[in-house]
Amino acid sequence: MSQPALTADLCLKCNICTAACPVAAATDLFLGPKAVGPQAQRYRHPSLPLPDRSLAWCSGCGTCSRVCPHGVAVAEINIQAKARLAHETGIPLRDQFISRPDLLGRLGTPLAPLANLALGLAPVRWMMQRVLRIHREAPMPAFRTRTFRSLQRGHLLPRPQPDPGIGVVRVAYFHGCGTNYYEPELGGMALEVLERLGCEVSVPPQGCCGLPLQSNGLLDGARAYACANIRALAPFARAGYPIVGTSTSCTLSLKHDYRTILGLDGADADVLAENTYDFFEFLTLRLDDRLAALSLHELPARALYHPPCQLKAHAVGTPALAVLRRIPGLIIELSDSECCGVAGTYGLKEEKYTVARRVGSGLFDQAADGRYDFLISDSETCRWWMAGHTGLPVLHPLEVLARALA
Amino acid sequence: MKRVLVIGAGLTGLFAAAMAARRGAEVTLVTDGRGGLELSHGCIDLLTPPLSPETFGHLLPAHPYRRAGLERIREAMDLFREFLTEQGLTYFGSLEHNLALPSAAGGIRDTGLAPLAQATGALADAGTFHLASLAHFRDFSAAFAAQRLRQRGLPVGGVVELALPNLPPGRDLYATDLARLFDDREWREETIRSWRSPLTGIQRLGVPAVLGLTGAEAARTSAEEQLGVRLFEIPTLPPSVPGLRLERALRRTAQAAGAHLIEGAHATGLVEAASIGRVTGVVYVSAGGPRPQRAEAVILATGGALHGGLVFRSHGAVQESVFDLPVEHASERGGWTAESLFASQPYSRFGVIIGDDFRPVGPDGQPLFENLFAAGGLLGGCDRTAEGSRQGIDLVSAYCAVEEALT
Amino acid sequence: MTSLSTQLLVLGGGATGLGIAWDACLRGLKVVLVEQGDIGQGTSGRYHGLLHSGGRYVVSDPVSARDCAAENAILRRLASHTIEDTGGFFAAAPGDPPAFADLWLEGCRHAGVPATEISATEACRREPLLNPRLQRVFAVQDASLDSFDLLHALVRAIRSAGGQVWLRHRVDGLLREGDRVSGAIVRPSGSTDTRTVHAEMVVNATGPWARETARLAGLDIPMALGKGAMVAMATRLVNTVVNRLKPPADGDIIVPVGTVAVLGTTDVPVDRPTDLHIDPWEIDLLLAEAEILIPDISHHRPLRAWAGIRPLFRPARAAGETRQMPRAHLILDHAAADGTPGMISVIGGKLTTYRLMAEQTMDEVCRQLHVQAACRTMDAPLERPADARYFTLPARLEALERAGRHQQQPEVICECESVTREQILHALESADTTDLDDVRRDLRLGMGPCQAGFCAYRAAALAESRAGAGSTWLEAFLEERWRGTRPLAWGTELRQMDLTRRIYLELMAVRPATEAP
Repeated sequence: MSQPALTADLCLKCNICTAACPVAAATDLFLGPKAVGPQAQRYRHPSLPLPDRSLAWCSGCGTCSRVCPHGVAVAEINIQAKARLAHETGIPLRDQFISRPDLLGRLGTPLAPLANLALGLAPVRWMMQRVLRIHREAPMPAFRTRTFRSLQRGHLLPRPQPDPGIGVVRVAYFHGCGTNYYEPELGGMALEVLERLGCEVSVPPQGCCGLPLQSNGLLDGARAYACANIRALAPFARAGYPIVGTSTSCTLSLKHDYRTILGLDGADADVLAENTYDFFEFLTLRLDDRLAALSLHELPARALYHPPCQLKAHAVGTPALAVLRRIPGLIIELSDSECCGVAGTYGLKEEKYTVARRVGSGLFDQAADGRYDFLISDSETCRWWMAGHTGLPVLHPLEVLARALA
Repeated sequence: MKRVLVIGAGLTGLFAAAMAARRGAEVTLVTDGRGGLELSHGCIDLLTPPLSPETFGHLLPAHPYRRAGLERIREAMDLFREFLTEQGLTYFGSLEHNLALPSAAGGIRDTGLAPLAQATGALADAGTFHLASLAHFRDFSAAFAAQRLRQRGLPVGGVVELALPNLPPGRDLYATDLARLFDDREWREETIRSWRSPLTGIQRLGVPAVLGLTGAEAARTSAEEQLGVRLFEIPTLPPSVPGLRLERALRRTAQAAGAHLIEGAHATGLVEAASIGRVTGVVYVSAGGPRPQRAEAVILATGGALHGGLVFRSHGAVQESVFDLPVEHASERGGWTAESLFASQPYSRFGVIIGDDFRPVGPDGQPLFENLFAAGGLLGGCDRTAEGSRQGIDLVSAYCAVEEALT
Repeated sequence: MTSLSTQLLVLGGGATGLGIAWDACLRGLKVVLVEQGDIGQGTSGRYHGLLHSGGRYVVSDPVSARDCAAENAILRRLASHTIEDTGGFFAAAPGDPPAFADLWLEGCRHAGVPATEISATEACRREPLLNPRLQRVFAVQDASLDSFDLLHALVRAIRSAGGQVWLRHRVDGLLREGDRVSGAIVRPSGSTDTRTVHAEMVVNATGPWARETARLAGLDIPMALGKGAMVAMATRLVNTVVNRLKPPADGDIIVPVGTVAVLGTTDVPVDRPTDLHIDPWEIDLLLAEAEILIPDISHHRPLRAWAGIRPLFRPARAAGETRQMPRAHLILDHAAADGTPGMISVIGGKLTTYRLMAEQTMDEVCRQLHVQAACRTMDAPLERPADARYFTLPARLEALERAGRHQQQPEVICECESVTREQILHALESADTTDLDDVRRDLRLGMGPCQAGFCAYRAAALAESRAGAGSTWLEAFLEERWRGTRPLAWGTELRQMDLTRRIYLELMAVRPATEAP
């Protein structure tokens, strides 16, 4: 359904979404998802300027849609309205910049040591804050000298192969910009673990999922990336390759945002959406028996698992938790918080940083009670943010599983 | 470990999931959204007039309480109180007597179990009490409540308006906003300090239920100490903080016991052809498409009219939304509501018919599926608003459904 | 028992009566107007909000069409802040008689109703929810008008010009002096004290009650009452008025009015002016007809249903259904018709032509009273808020934004319709406000999707001191809101009603007004 605005009708004004919204809990300057969503939608005219501004505080975390019992696509309404607002007020250079992680990655990788050095210097961060309005304290990942794709040339597959029909599970891995430019070893682990579970893994042609562009109001730009991904990946999906990703935000885009927020319809968009999986979702759905057959080493440790908002928006629960709980010696507690605060690029912005920190403060406090050896989260932007604010290592659940399988 | 699937995360579903998980089942809770606890007073309405062997006997045999029996009603309440006490929320009350509590609209609310913060406002306690409004908080008016309570002959000594210094500038406040502020010790202490002088001479004070969300008991007791006044809370217009505290506590209990929560997922029933008379699980709609969730027992706790467990169609059909179970209802839509808001409403009585083992039955009175159970607002046969039994039926039917499912 | 004398006594405070009183003030007459209820409780407050382009009548009633076209342009000058310039479409759906379009277009030309043909594709581009298979579409100058705003503006204008407007006054009797009608005895609701008003001329503009009123003077007016049901959808489905391009029939119009879309209307003969019941078939018909124009309408939520009564003059020989009766208004001079001078009755007409009806009535009144004064309403725009031009949909939200709603607690009481604490307190100060329903008509309190589920408590609390001890304002308001949602009690609407029930009966333990404490 690509017209979320039409679900505004279903709103009963019950305030369940407002009570759950992590941003509304952190700042009174945000009116809340109900107010800026279905309530304000009744006042929006397609030909007149938007009447409301506090919409800009919405972080796009999706909690509201998930908790609404009446079917209102609150988050989607808000994201579309925010895009309209961004166009009316003008999209700053900074947002154009941070919404293109593939561009940043391509620029940063050849200059990795220099870029990382610079980004670690306080005066450089101050300048960035002054000029680009990226908050000087927002944690940033380090560039790597080689991308995931260049390290895994052997796995690159330009076109799907016909099904050999011998019952092998063939998987197409969607790495996303985070893995490609900043965490290539995580991608390597994904390939290894899948192969260990008997899959034949390939890396299809792909580009940035486009989510940062969408979050920053650049829907046309996001659509361009989306169409490119649909064109590249639909043939793989049709040929029977599940598209599996380790970044919960990328996979959510492929599954949901392309159709519902960007309004891209058609058989290709459908086949891609229906065949995209989060890594652990895929494991528990298709590879559970094979996983059960492997022995897991003991990992004596205590960890706090924070499922990212985007994972919760997949509406598959927390499959990683079930898998990791099988690891002997590992005690995993569940985070109490709805959202860590970063919401993709939201927490990087100068004017949003303080609110983003406050959104995550409950999580940081819980993590700081000294009992945890490390934290776990499925989304890269969450991991970098949480690590920066707690000083603890933050691992992808895949990393934990890989250690237990080693 | 038996795999149990609970559908619906209202009071019924959360309690069922917590209970089943604690009894060793492998529990998955699939829900489309959050339930109605946030819309409620956070108390457990059992029955008005209260349950006694006599009133119990007057209930129709089809009533969920009759199917459960007084013994299991008691057990359900005990288990509920146990779970909540573990989470730091103590509930008071009994099966035999209702507490009479003042409401934000100056009404008198009868309830079976109430959290301590509200129970201390029970009107049976002799003596006058004052009521306080909080400045700029539109969802509770002490003057309004006081005027109407006085009409009913209650000893309201007076009304105070308390300031909220250091209020961050911004939108109109919801109860949850104030509750989060009260969780902040520094803000709370400063605010309470400013209340000392307006409250001199007052011994018992009713305030809107906003004294903390995560640290509720601590916030209230520290306020009482600082002020030297006995405080009791009165639930406000939703979002209702006592309801949210209860929801949070039950969700934590369920998840800590290992229940796997899948939110944002609308379920449709799964009955595989090979399994006649058994449900094999559900298919739920997730972001990319349908996903199966298999189980050995399924507890349907999707609610009634409000949350879509029952879907009311304009042409007169009323459908159960997951398994399309038969629903007892009147087929002429004009007869679904009464002329007055305050009257008993026919639509409230519609619902799925169950047997004594809480399994939905067909017209022949036999269970439709051997491993499907139903509980909560989905059940037909009584108007829970009119008889004051909403939360009681949720808990009791959840308890029975889990017991039956795990045997 | 008090008495006073005036030149003109107007009975009835709908658009007709208020328009006449305003016209009279501008001609320098002393006016007293009495209205049995609150502003907008009669037919004028119960209509679908259309400022006619005239297109609707070009074939069936060309005189009306011409009048509408002319007055449409005039009202846009005089009361711009009550009008939203939505434009309108006349659209033929698949299956509608194709020949009618040409007949209609011809009628528009003759009646001076501007109409431009556009493609169905263009129509759907402007209004994405419209049926893509529409046959022919014409753009006209329909607009939507908020009758409450208009009526309030007229009341303010009359009072500031020195005229008197007495609300909640019933007409107990008409005074006769010999042949002539010489005034009326009126009584405030709930009181036994009457007031006698002596007048040189009485104008009977009581709408559906016109016949009953005339009988008080021993006169009869042949009238028919046509009840029309309407349904408001919870959100604006269209931003343009959409009419079916076929001979006028039930359910052939959709009007965006403020934050809702109104589906109209049926036409059922009734006997009494108080018969406002709505049958399920009327709701079903309105939704089914609307579905032809908006195929996905069943995914949308009907919010509220209400009815209004059309007062129609039925000349001696006409019989049959009320829809075919001329909508043109009638100014009935009882001196000429019945040999009873001193009273003129005004029957029928549309809200769009209220000013013209008033002008014609007052020309006759002045002729009979030998007053030389020409109509000046054309040159006297109604007072409006300083920066308002046409009404625009985002206006209320923009006002809140300007007031810095997210910078300091503005205390929005009705969140659905953006009504603030300040506005409500102001409305409560007026002596004309006797319950929350009056506040609702003034401010749209409780008229949004939640139908006062949340604001009823907040507003009742604000009204506590005004309402007084033992008052049941909250209970009465809740019951009134419940009444208008009952005809739509299924789907999302039933959920909303259940939510209201849970909040007020369980959480708030509110009991019916009749129950002893």
